[in-house]
Amino acid sequence: MTANQPTSDLLARYLQAIGDHLPAATRDDVLAELRANLQAQLDDRAEELNRPLTDAEVAAILKDHGRPIVVAARYLPQQYLIGPAIFPYYLMTLRKATPFVLIIGFLAESSRLLNVHNLSELIAGIFVSLGQLIPDLLFFAFWVTLAFAIAEYAYSQNHAKPFGLSWNPTKLPALKPQFKGKSRASRIADLIFHCLWMVYVLEIPTHPYLILGPGELYLHMLNARPAPIWHLFYAAVVFMLFFQLVTKITALVVPAGIWQTPLNFATKILGVLFNAWVALTNVYFVPAGPATNLESLAAVNYWMNIGFRIFLVFSILDLIVEAWKLRPSFQAKRLVF
Amino acid sequence: MDTASNPPSEPQIFDSLRLELRRGCLIVAVLAQLRVEHYGYTLRKALADQGLAIEESTLYPLLRRLETQQLLTSQWREEDKRNKRFYKLSPQGESILTQLLAEWNSINDSVNNILQHSDQR
Repeated sequence: MTANQPTSDLLARYLQAIGDHLPAATRDDVLAELRANLQAQLDDRAEELNRPLTDAEVAAILKDHGRPIVVAARYLPQQYLIGPAIFPYYLMTLRKATPFVLIIGFLAESSRLLNVHNLSELIAGIFVSLGQLIPDLLFFAFWVTLAFAIAEYAYSQNHAKPFGLSWNPTKLPALKPQFKGKSRASRIADLIFHCLWMVYVLEIPTHPYLILGPGELYLHMLNARPAPIWHLFYAAVVFMLFFQLVTKITALVVPAGIWQTPLNFATKILGVLFNAWVALTNVYFVPAGPATNLESLAAVNYWMNIGFRIFLVFSILDLIVEAWKLRPSFQAKRLVF
Repeated sequence: MDTASNPPSEPQIFDSLRLELRRGCLIVAVLAQLRVEHYGYTLRKALADQGLAIEESTLYPLLRRLETQQLLTSQWREEDKRNKRFYKLSPQGESILTQLLAEWNSINDSVNNILQHSDQR
């Protein structure tokens, strides 16, 4: 039984739609074979029903056969952008190199932080620097993906083994030490050293040489004294030390709670804020009398400010690295191209 | 993307594993069925009659792939006033089929042995 005209029309349209997604070299051959098979199927069905098929029945058979683009894709050689043999190396490269890209990118962008004059400029500068990391990361990901796509192409063309042709199990890294948290002795030692450190810090106001060292003599020579900012800063540092003292005493009772990691991170954030506060201050020492060498004092204040700003950049970087470590684990197995 | 929070259902897991299990078996079945010449549609019907239903969109491209690997030969011929492409197992295909069947039987024996041992425990 031969299909009627609308049936042929529907079949022809279906084949044409498939042909749109096939390479010219094999298109006619594939379509001729598909036409013969589908026509035989339609004829078979018409014979079963003992009547010509309706448009709806033909459409149902063609729908069951599959969407044209999907059918055509099955006639094409299987091609990955990055296939399963190379994908683990691709992912490893991205995971290992991304932190370095972030660090280098942030350092390159952080020069703007050396020229800020107040807190709002600092915050804006940090956000601009962080925002600039997004195009940096995209640029990096693009080139890595392109390189691995080329490697995949070469691999699929030559059927060569991908990276790591030969590897030696004896050269695998040594076992990592199991993290069991700090021992009680270690926590006690930590507390003792912290107390000693607090005593040292608390002695600084009465014995400034503890922190200034030989610099104290130089300040005398300049006839300069610490600016009022240090009083506030000192109070903040002492507050923070007492806060840490409480956490260390708590750690003796509750060894490794889930609060430890966020608390450490919060402490780092607080540290960065303190650094920012000091870095935004331009005057660290002020004249102690009319005999002060103002030119030298200005130079001291300038270079101290530069030093604090550089230190701020690195402390922000450290914070980013810590934040990166806290990121949720990555489900790599689902990322298949 | 987080599969841990949304694990696949049992039917989904079964379908996925069944697909994997069938993939290799289908090739053996197609090669075996093509010891007798068929064109695409009659081959599909013959397999379905033997209890191995296979989608057209899977079978027809598979035939071309097996022909590219020289396991099948094909020729266009007229039948019932229509040109059809008939496939048949090539000598190389026969050799590969013999090896695959040996492998198949070996796997089958091993799985049966494992099942017997696990039943005894």
